[in-house]
Amino acid sequence: MSTEPTTQPPRLEQTTQPPRLSHARDISRPGFYVKLVLMMLVNAFGVYGIMASYGLEEWGVLAFLVVALIVADYVYFSKRALAGKYLYPGLLFLVVFQIYVMVTTAVVSFTNYGDGHNDDKEAAVTQIQRTSDRRVDGTPTYPVTVLDRGGDVAFAIVDDGTPLVGDADEPLTEVPDATVTDGRVTEVPGADVLDFAQIQERQDEVLSLRVDVTDNPDDGWLRTDNASTAYIAKSLLVYDEAADTFTDPEGKVYLADPDQGLFVAEDGSSLLPGWRVTVGFENYTVMFTDSRLAGPFASILTWTFAFSILSVLTTFALGLFLAVVFNDARVKGRRIYRALFILPYAFPGFLAALVWRGLLNEDFGYINEVLLGGASIPWLADGNLAKLSVLGVNLWLGFPYMFLVATGALQAIPDELTEAAVMDGAGPVRRFWRITLPLLLVAVAPLLIASFAFNFNNFSLIYMLTGGGPNYPGAPLPIGETDILISMIYAVAFESGIRRYGLASAMSIIIFVVVGLVSWLGFRQTRKLEEVM
Amino acid sequence: MARKTLANGENDTRLRGARWWKEVGWKHVFAILVIIYCLFPLLYVISASLNPGGTLTGSNDLFSTFSGANYANLLDTDYPTWALNSFIVSSATAVGTVVMAAAAAYAFSRFRFKGRRGGLTTLLIIQMFPQMLAFVAIFLLVLTLGEVFPFLGVGSNLQLIAIYLGGALGSNTFLMYGFFNTVPDSIDEAARIDGATHAQIFWGIIMRLVTPILAVVGLLSFVASYGEFILARIVLSRPENYTLAVGMYVWGTDERNAPWSLFAAGAVVAAIPIIALFLYLQKYIVGGLLAGGVKG
Amino acid sequence: MRKSFLAAAAVGLSLTLAACGGSSSESTSATSEPMASESSSAPMATGTLTIWVDESRTETFKSIGETFMAETGVSLDVVEKPSADLKNDFIRDAPTGQGPDLIVTANDATGDLVANGLAAPLELGDKSDAFSEAAVRAVSLEGQVYGLPYAIENIGLVRNNAMVQDTPETFAELVEQGRAAEGAEFPIVIQQGGDAGDPYHLYPLQTSFGADVFATDANGDYTSELAMGGPEGEAFAEWLKQMADEDVLSTSIDADKAKQAFLDGTAPYIVTGPWYVADFLAADMDISVLPIPSAGGEPAAPFIGVQAVFMSSQSENQLLAQQFIDFMGTKETQDALYEAQGRTPALTESAEAIDDPIVAGFGEAGANGQSIPTIPEMATVWTYWGGAEVSILNGTAEPVEAWQTMIANIESNF
Repeated sequence: MSTEPTTQPPRLEQTTQPPRLSHARDISRPGFYVKLVLMMLVNAFGVYGIMASYGLEEWGVLAFLVVALIVADYVYFSKRALAGKYLYPGLLFLVVFQIYVMVTTAVVSFTNYGDGHNDDKEAAVTQIQRTSDRRVDGTPTYPVTVLDRGGDVAFAIVDDGTPLVGDADEPLTEVPDATVTDGRVTEVPGADVLDFAQIQERQDEVLSLRVDVTDNPDDGWLRTDNASTAYIAKSLLVYDEAADTFTDPEGKVYLADPDQGLFVAEDGSSLLPGWRVTVGFENYTVMFTDSRLAGPFASILTWTFAFSILSVLTTFALGLFLAVVFNDARVKGRRIYRALFILPYAFPGFLAALVWRGLLNEDFGYINEVLLGGASIPWLADGNLAKLSVLGVNLWLGFPYMFLVATGALQAIPDELTEAAVMDGAGPVRRFWRITLPLLLVAVAPLLIASFAFNFNNFSLIYMLTGGGPNYPGAPLPIGETDILISMIYAVAFESGIRRYGLASAMSIIIFVVVGLVSWLGFRQTRKLEEVM
Repeated sequence: MARKTLANGENDTRLRGARWWKEVGWKHVFAILVIIYCLFPLLYVISASLNPGGTLTGSNDLFSTFSGANYANLLDTDYPTWALNSFIVSSATAVGTVVMAAAAAYAFSRFRFKGRRGGLTTLLIIQMFPQMLAFVAIFLLVLTLGEVFPFLGVGSNLQLIAIYLGGALGSNTFLMYGFFNTVPDSIDEAARIDGATHAQIFWGIIMRLVTPILAVVGLLSFVASYGEFILARIVLSRPENYTLAVGMYVWGTDERNAPWSLFAAGAVVAAIPIIALFLYLQKYIVGGLLAGGVKG
Repeated sequence: MRKSFLAAAAVGLSLTLAACGGSSSESTSATSEPMASESSSAPMATGTLTIWVDESRTETFKSIGETFMAETGVSLDVVEKPSADLKNDFIRDAPTGQGPDLIVTANDATGDLVANGLAAPLELGDKSDAFSEAAVRAVSLEGQVYGLPYAIENIGLVRNNAMVQDTPETFAELVEQGRAAEGAEFPIVIQQGGDAGDPYHLYPLQTSFGADVFATDANGDYTSELAMGGPEGEAFAEWLKQMADEDVLSTSIDADKAKQAFLDGTAPYIVTGPWYVADFLAADMDISVLPIPSAGGEPAAPFIGVQAVFMSSQSENQLLAQQFIDFMGTKETQDALYEAQGRTPALTESAEAIDDPIVAGFGEAGANGQSIPTIPEMATVWTYWGGAEVSILNGTAEPVEAWQTMIANIESNF
């Protein structure tokens, strides 16, 4: 053994003290001081976070930190809550990084968040106003001087040798006593010329300033994008804040529709962008009402289950077999063998998928061209073969994990049992089926279920290897024979070119419910197994 | 301390001839076959890594060129930085995962509390949530945390470790729980009578007896975080913060100018630490520590 | 070993506390910080602009940034993003206020950026005529310009002069000639990517049948009316099937395979863009770039892609960002970008000054080109289009039927 008793704690030291369950308050033990210091740090950290979130007005974070800190102090200073002391750190991370993410996803699933509805309404209105501002054709650009006149930003330009000044309230008017140098106004009585740094500081005011050219708003207004030249622009749309409408020059009215998060005209046309609104259960019902999904849905669901179950079985079978076979000291060099078995695990998965795609290429892949002597087997282009290929590649990718897990779990099987079986004259095969496998299953059955869930959502393999293909020819959605539920979701929510986060979130939740339910049933079965043992 | 009796209960007497083939020899043949299966796709990667300017799968003419230039060129890229980042992130994740999962497994295995059964199942089921589509939520979380705790913001390795630790429980706890249960309660009992506290029992006794599974979980979580790029991509926004997985992913997704030869060399180098780590941990995983410990 | 398991957490914690002490003071150096007015006497601006570029442009924009810094005093923080993620990350980040001030991407992104309200409209003003018309159109939507174009690229026919020296007028003759060439395993390679297909690389041949993707209005802007249906499109579909039967086109030939075949001298021709040229030249190949021969009788028109800089509508540095946009439009910058990237500049004056046979070849190949549509509907088109072509090439669907179904599917999505 490599860890020799130098680091051995005095775990069984002779002591006259009565047995205790916790050193939580036993100030005679050094453990107490370690804990005290740690808890001081935790509290310092927590209090810092509480103050910071108060300053930032992040009330949700603040509430969470207060609760988490109180719980931490209770758990570690109380004599009770023994299990809590061991669970708290893991649970804290779990709550923040997994549960919170689930809750947020659930919230998003009730909105229309996605392309065209990417931000709030205020941002949408601003952007529509900005993009509808167009330069009036045939008008010149002017060198512009930005002024501060009585606290307000104003523009000064020279038109036909005449210096003109205007601001938000006052249209361009002649200022005869302004100084003009090289076609640019350099000085205006009663106003300060702003230099670039000052302009930069007030850039929002400067960039949003619209100076009417004349008293008639139809003549357009002067604006600038870079504070050095100005041009005359007009808007294609007029926003009426009270009525919440945009009106175009032909009088077409776009009314804000809070249900869709869009400005919509009577003829159904709308303005871009829209904004995020809550749409209730719409994203959930789409899955059941979209007729395009009805056709392939059943076959995809079947394949998803087949794929995940077969993946677990094949990888586990190979991994376990290897673990058992090479758990034999008589095999020389098994250390090296084992290290090489995990090679597929050590390379990036997406790289492996790319390479396999090349190997399986129908006309030029190594498998057809070299191994099979120029055969032309459509490994990825035929539905059934593609499914086989996906399983084969997943076996390659997945068995090292199972090999590791099984090797680890094998060590927990007491030698006594095996020895007893040997005494009874059981051969290696029988020993495996009667002792090793059942004992191993108790420990790893939950992992097999977890692996099932992982493969159920194994998007990256499908996406990298086949892209879901071969596609159902002419299907109304780009869905193929090797698509599993999650990659179908991806195709529906993203691949038709439009991101629909709301829809994708709703579908994630539904998938989670399905996988969770199936797994929960699986757990009930393994529990029975455990009881039998 | 080598023990004479092997795991399968047979004595290590030299086997000869047919019996050797029947019981041991075929295992070598089988091992070679499995290794060929493992290695064969990787030959493309190795071949590409030796061929400057080549494609990854464009040709079946492997090893037509031999050049170490790609490996040397790795040093001119951000690759060394990525390797360092990966090493830090994965090591911290592995250690954190082992400690937290073991602590949780200890609680589930040794204490009886309300919701214990359901809690264990719930832990595993929560991990099944498809995170792939949750990147918006994760991004917002990273932003908010980054505002409150500036060292946890976008681009922070610490933040990434924290996210990985969010998945520390779950299947790891389960794997350990099963193993912890095989350690007889009588051992705890004896220690308790001797006056050991629960913390002493956990750190001093249990943790030593379950070394194989600690090594397995440590390795699994190291490899998982080492190869993870979907979450890492959300948190790490600049090349100098990338981990190897993200960096390689970025190289590989360049549709038109993917530097395949560099990429392949990088993948080969990146695989070495994993193999080395496994070689190192093997003695803990299969060293029979448990049996020795129990017999003590 | 006696330590509580919290000890491990504590190590992390003390590190984090130390880190927090160190970084909190720096966190105020945000890019949006306006400059103090003390420096008002200096005419130069100050501040930092953040720009996202993909991996192929990082170095170029870092050097452009240095010039910009020298000219204006504004520093450019160049952040590299994977090309596959740049647009998506921008759409995700910008609304949170964490996005960059500018991004550099291909013009296909225009529709998406506009639909999400994230591209600031640009007023090129009097300068707009100085750019190639196709380039400006490629970054515009409904008459509004959203990006500053800096480079144009399109695919062309690249010939290995060591295998064949003259190129016939039609595609059919080219195939015949290519087959006869010594050492040729393929008459020509045109990359097709697996399951998604590659309509982009087939488009010149499709347009030679007169099947343009969208109809255009009087101004030459794309409308959302699909124009590739009808007899022209069906003729192209039939032709695709024929090419697959004759082993000219195959979905097995992906980008890697096509490039390698051309590099190995087993294909005298490849249809590709400027991005592979550097590798061909690095392999000491003697190549010429030519227009793609017609397959259906009409001239072959490839898509013209434009590389452009877009300004975020959420930028808090609009004024400086606008300065950078102006800077990008100058002849000096466009020249420098050409030097670094080897793509035809979008600024006509810069483009005319170039004397390089390969760039000229691509220019000629794209003379009839059509700008890649930026209308949001285009995203839907790609998916179905590629899928239909794959099913025809693989023989899983009858060509005309597949084409008609594709049109119906696309239209049902509009």
